[in-house]
Amino acid sequence: MTYRVGIDIGGTFTDFALLKEGSSESGKVVLHKNLSTPEDRSLGVMQGLGALAEKEGLSLADFLGRCEAIVHGTTVADNTLIEMNGAVTGLITTEGFRDEIEYRRGFKEDIWDVRLEPPRQITPRRRRLTVPERILHDGTVHKPLDEGALREACRKLRLQNVEAVAISFLFSFVNPDHERRAREIVRQEIQNAYICASHEVLPRAPEYDRTSTTIVNAYVGPRVTSYLEKLVQRLVEGGYRNQLMVMQASGGVMTKEYIDGAPIRVLASGPAGGVIGSAHCGRAKGHTNLLCVDMGGTSYDMSLVVDGLAPAEAGWNMHHRYLIGVPMVKVETLGAGGGSICHVNKGALEVGPRSAGAAPGPICYGRGGKEPTVTDALVMLGILSTDEGFAGGSFRLTRQGVDEAFQAIADEMGHGVAEQAAFDCWRVVTANMSQGVRRTTAGKGIDPKDLVMLAYGGNGPAFAAIQAEDLGISRVLVPKTSPTFSALGTLVANPTIDEERSYIASARTLDLNRIRQHWNDLSVRAKKYFTDAGFAAEAIRVNYQLNMRYPGQNFSLSFDYQADVALGDLSFIGEDFGETAIKLFNGRHMAEYEHIREHEVPEVSGVRLNAHVVTPSPEIGGGFTPSGNPPSATKSRRANLDAGFAEVPVYLGKDLVPGMEVSSPAIIEETFTTIVVYPGWKAQIDDAGDYQLVKA
Amino acid sequence: MSYELNRKLAAPRGAMPTTYEIDQVTADIIRGAFETVCFESATYLGRAASSPIINQSNERNAAIVDANGRLAMGAVGTPHLTFVNQMETRWGLMNLERYDWGPGDVFLANDPDHGGGHLPDYCVYGPVYDEKGKLICIQTLQAHQGDTGGKDPGGFSLDATDLFTEGVIYPCLKLVHRGELRRDVFDMVVRNNRFATFAGDITAMIGGVQHAVKMLNGLISRWGSDVVKAAINHSIEHTERRVREEVSKWPDGTYEATVLIDHDTAGTKDIKVHVACRIEGDQLTVDLTGTDDRPNLVGVWNTFANTRSYVMTQVVAAMDPTIVKNEGFFNAVDIVIPEGCIAQPPPNKPAALGSFHPACEITEAVCLALSNVAPERSQPQLYKIGMPNAVIGFDEKGMMWMDQGVDCRSMDTSAVQGIDGWGSCPNALGSLILSEAEDAESRFPILNISREMTTDGGGAGQWRGAPGSLNVKQVLKPTTAMAWMVSADHPLRGMCGGDDAIPYSNRFEVGSPNERKIEHTAQDLLPEGAKIAYQHGGGAGFGRPLLRDPEAVKEDVLDEYVSLEAARTKYGVVLTGSLDDYTLEVDRGATEALRIEMAAMAEAVM
Repeated sequence: MTYRVGIDIGGTFTDFALLKEGSSESGKVVLHKNLSTPEDRSLGVMQGLGALAEKEGLSLADFLGRCEAIVHGTTVADNTLIEMNGAVTGLITTEGFRDEIEYRRGFKEDIWDVRLEPPRQITPRRRRLTVPERILHDGTVHKPLDEGALREACRKLRLQNVEAVAISFLFSFVNPDHERRAREIVRQEIQNAYICASHEVLPRAPEYDRTSTTIVNAYVGPRVTSYLEKLVQRLVEGGYRNQLMVMQASGGVMTKEYIDGAPIRVLASGPAGGVIGSAHCGRAKGHTNLLCVDMGGTSYDMSLVVDGLAPAEAGWNMHHRYLIGVPMVKVETLGAGGGSICHVNKGALEVGPRSAGAAPGPICYGRGGKEPTVTDALVMLGILSTDEGFAGGSFRLTRQGVDEAFQAIADEMGHGVAEQAAFDCWRVVTANMSQGVRRTTAGKGIDPKDLVMLAYGGNGPAFAAIQAEDLGISRVLVPKTSPTFSALGTLVANPTIDEERSYIASARTLDLNRIRQHWNDLSVRAKKYFTDAGFAAEAIRVNYQLNMRYPGQNFSLSFDYQADVALGDLSFIGEDFGETAIKLFNGRHMAEYEHIREHEVPEVSGVRLNAHVVTPSPEIGGGFTPSGNPPSATKSRRANLDAGFAEVPVYLGKDLVPGMEVSSPAIIEETFTTIVVYPGWKAQIDDAGDYQLVKA
Repeated sequence: MSYELNRKLAAPRGAMPTTYEIDQVTADIIRGAFETVCFESATYLGRAASSPIINQSNERNAAIVDANGRLAMGAVGTPHLTFVNQMETRWGLMNLERYDWGPGDVFLANDPDHGGGHLPDYCVYGPVYDEKGKLICIQTLQAHQGDTGGKDPGGFSLDATDLFTEGVIYPCLKLVHRGELRRDVFDMVVRNNRFATFAGDITAMIGGVQHAVKMLNGLISRWGSDVVKAAINHSIEHTERRVREEVSKWPDGTYEATVLIDHDTAGTKDIKVHVACRIEGDQLTVDLTGTDDRPNLVGVWNTFANTRSYVMTQVVAAMDPTIVKNEGFFNAVDIVIPEGCIAQPPPNKPAALGSFHPACEITEAVCLALSNVAPERSQPQLYKIGMPNAVIGFDEKGMMWMDQGVDCRSMDTSAVQGIDGWGSCPNALGSLILSEAEDAESRFPILNISREMTTDGGGAGQWRGAPGSLNVKQVLKPTTAMAWMVSADHPLRGMCGGDDAIPYSNRFEVGSPNERKIEHTAQDLLPEGAKIAYQHGGGAGFGRPLLRDPEAVKEDVLDEYVSLEAARTKYGVVLTGSLDDYTLEVDRGATEALRIEMAAMAEAVM
């Protein structure tokens, strides 16, 4: 028996998904959860691995010795940006371009609010230093690097005790010589600094996007790498013999060695893991176009899976008010979670985006929260119970103070009925989420009603069916594994390297040798990292991709020129390369924007390579075979499921087995979540034991 | 096409007829759905359009106007466009039989004398009917076009004496009849534009409107037209109530401000904008009486609809940003604009450059006036640049290219109480995403040499304005450059005792024997290798500089926003130690003494 383990660390819990291989239990998944250990997160990881070993009847050393792969999703980078406690970072850039990072291309998050505060600067102006040098758009050197000025800049950064240095010169992605030389000099001049050069972090235009990404990489890099080092050390000491694999925001995993080159790739990888898990689960159940919704304590995350895939986009990804240009699985976030606060603003009822968080949390947590939240509204509506253990039995909800809080809202709204106020909060948050979904699908030519919804996160299933109703969606999947979905996602994600090189030329005047050279360079890099990780070179599959655009467009579209071929086989590059590229690009443009510019010759803006190795994934079944066995409700309670208050039957998840069907109205209580079967819907327990909500 | 028409277009409109009693929550849910329609429509346009100004810079706006011509429920896009579109659709509404309106129609309007802004701001709109065939609302979509088929590329003619010089004018042109594209009309509109990408842009605008109309049809059939009408009425009434609540918190009185523009494009000096904001209880009146009305001025004529819009953009900035932007603002605020002044020109006056100036001086004057009552929100929403330096040339194949100069830079972000000016430009312009050197240089034969902030380059104050930047560019081939220079004699004004921003300046052929300062306008052929340098004025300060926390001044010196000298002469802060070694410290005793001395001197001068 061998194992693969997926681990995802959240704010409260560390989740584990264990996949067994090589026995009668092959393909089976074991889930585990334990509390996170914020002071040293690797401790919580080791505790959980110990618990899994025990479940398997093995010592930790034996268990880790049998682990083929440990795959990890980390929020260290995200936490660093939330807490703003990364490295003291400096920037060295081209003379004349000191302030691009402060201009933000003119972007301000709220165009109506003159009191909007600026984002905190990672590199305040005193730590942004410039050096005479200049490379032109074709890579020629217009002005040589002034090494004396660079050393002087280093002296200034040294005086300011910088711990990390980002180097970003204009057009370094075309000709990186100046950045390479600058890195050597900075290494000599500032001992022990963490140094990153923009052509390595994000080798593409324009300068704000690349510089911003490089600065954030420098800022979070030291913390991410030192955390991963500590974890690897503990794993090795424990008996693990393979490479630690790490989840990336692009939805693929890769070795720690590779991540060390650009740690920013792990930023926002947690939500990406959830989407990859969703795609896998949906595919297994025969649904390839999904709307994935994850409603947790503070936010509501929405993402799309199209044709079974969650494509990573390298566009305008603003995270924590910084632009991150690396490919990321697109996840839109709305400030609507269980902890979102309900309040009246000048006569209008609003929910969120302010959240009570985990502490003090909603009033019903009984931990000192005073402001009513969505979770409190669910208690008022009878959807959540105050009788039994909440969140897996760890504590019990209380009604104390909840009625009074909604009474206050009711009085402010002028109708004076507390239950109506709670119901109105439920309506507002439901509408907010539906509008959020429509904005997520906007402009992509996707009608939500053609999608299957997949709901996860602690609060998602309480709202899923009513939102589906609102959006015209007729089927909702609620996997039993949903509370540990991100961990499962890390387990099903393939090791992937997704990189690009900038090359700008009209599609009719392409230098095929340069394209060949770029793809070769990228292939050599990919091969090194994969074989270092123990994968056979023959196992590497490659999508050769181009980034193209019409003249005048800034944002390019990526598409496969050649998909799923062996690494290094460039025999497809022939005389008609450019014409084929034009045809493929026009097809992609038509799909994305519903028109093409037939009289214009598009240009290539970059050469991209997506290399991956397919690794074993858990088996997930689908299908629904009715058993005819009626489920029995253990109790009932007074609840309002959008049809006024009435006595509603309550089922316990552990009593429901495959083949059963629960008709509406009903509430199903699972360990970590509550599923609501709204009027007009029914819940089925499919052959794999997962829930699906379908229109009755 | 007259002052009388303007009066009709601006006249208050009544509520939609319905007896349905709607609750607050349902009304808000429907409003949210309408805003999502606007978001989808604007997003559709942004993704499908070909021109960078639309698909990258986001200069577009989607809004919904009700059947009475009122801005119904919020909008998504550029603020100054948000408050114009209802005026353009009103002209269509006044003539709907004449123009044979019906389901599936899509119209185009851009006429400055029929409710429009300047010619490049195209408004494409489509009516929405309920199942009984009653007109319920109109979806509008606006975007700035790269050209208008006039004398000069881009539609900005420095010497235009009438509107016809600037391009083709559409009061209300039907592009789609009952769902069918009118190919002949479409081809004519496309033919009257220099840029090949325009066909894609106008197609995208039509598509964006049709997409939204389909969504609105869905919402009307789901909720019922009576409920939707009640929701619109509710939203507008709610906004009006909230605006009046804000106004009633302000002290009664008349607050006046005068702002001057250096000169018009012909060199006539000191063009005046005068604003009086009268507050009586919950009623705010913004009165532009006293604004320049010399009939021979050139290039400084702002259309009537644009003036209303720029006034409102600044009024909105002075209030709680959560108030929904709709007709309720116009119901609560009276705007008085004398006929024949530069804020309500006679028919056929050129309109393109007026959208810069005096439009921006109107916001500045409103801001100055309102700074007496709402200092915490007094940041002028404007640009003082005159016109960006546009460079135009021809490639090897003879095709024209134009770098419109909408580059990354810092300009005109004034401080507000408690917050220094920050970022590239004021919030209202924040949805514009500016061009970067690597994109421009890959496309045009130009070299960007510098765009850094200028030390001491904004207004000092208790909170200081963002420093302006110096943009230096080199043309690598012979190239025509166009410029209109203002804000040198009359830079952006400080608020509540804050210093003005620094003067703008613009120099062509820098470092050569032909180096010259642009005084008024330029339309020059530059030789290969010529450098142009545009110094932006930055933002103005807020509050007296002597009140700024000395520690904040020290931090500014360390960041080189402020020089050591200015720390002393403008802020009265004495620093010890060395900037070079980052060892600056505030000398508290010396600072206090200097500040007392400077305050006494200032008093003596007053």
